[in-house]
Amino acid sequence: MKKLSLLPIAALVGVLFFQAIQKPEVETHPEIDMEAPKIPAKVKAVIDQKCYGCHNAEAKGEKAKKKLDWDQFEAEKKAKQLAAMSKINEALVEGEMPPKKFLENKPEGKLTEEEMAILLDWSAGKKKSGE
Amino acid sequence: MKVWQYGLLGLGIIFLVIQFVPNQLPEVIENNPKDLMGSGLVEGEMATLLKTACYDCHSNETKYPWYSFVAPASWLVAKDTREGREEVNFSYWTDIDMMDKLAILDDVYSEVEEKHMPLPIYLSMHSEAKLTPEDRQKIMEWAEAAMDIVVEEE
Repeated sequence: MKKLSLLPIAALVGVLFFQAIQKPEVETHPEIDMEAPKIPAKVKAVIDQKCYGCHNAEAKGEKAKKKLDWDQFEAEKKAKQLAAMSKINEALVEGEMPPKKFLENKPEGKLTEEEMAILLDWSAGKKKSGE
Repeated sequence: MKVWQYGLLGLGIIFLVIQFVPNQLPEVIENNPKDLMGSGLVEGEMATLLKTACYDCHSNETKYPWYSFVAPASWLVAKDTREGREEVNFSYWTDIDMMDKLAILDDVYSEVEEKHMPLPIYLSMHSEAKLTPEDRQKIMEWAEAAMDIVVEEE
């Protein structure tokens, strides 16, 4: 009789034991890591003012839209966003954007030093990984 | 001698003279421990595909055909190989920064999708490097999957 009453207890202990083992597996969600962080507000402000005019879904210039479409950017997965940031960084460092032709007609479109610093800092990406 | 014979002789002389114009073909290096092929990102059929279609210009393992050593073809081969390696050299893959790897893979996707690569002039001499629509699709899918792996590895 004593041995029989021990059985359900043993089973209960067993169940608890297995739950404890499975818990850490349940808690990991690798998909969450693939989600990209939002663009910081001050970066977004510069983009809206200085980049979005050409790089948007309704843009007239096919090339500008194809290379970078801000309307699509935030919907992209993390890997795509980081790739775009990497290319943005390169284009800024090389002085390719905004295009010289564009600035001839619209000198006010030039990035100020502060705006340039904000975009460079953000597009470099690495510094943000600690957050 | 007729006029056309003089012309031919002239062309022949020009051909011989240009052989002495200095031309440096980018060096071939066989042992590349930092290559994409050893990085675990690519294997099997995809490795063969990339090696056949991309590696003559985008790695240190260029297989120079005979005309690479004959001017004026040699000039074009040298230029395209040099520029190809400058743009991306898969033989130094593991040295490349994570963000740059992503940009490269993203470019692999679009260059192959838009048929900018392999270069048409390269394909005219390398029919084995021609990509079928299925090949292009496979490379694009690989590049996209590889981007996720590169992000996760970091």
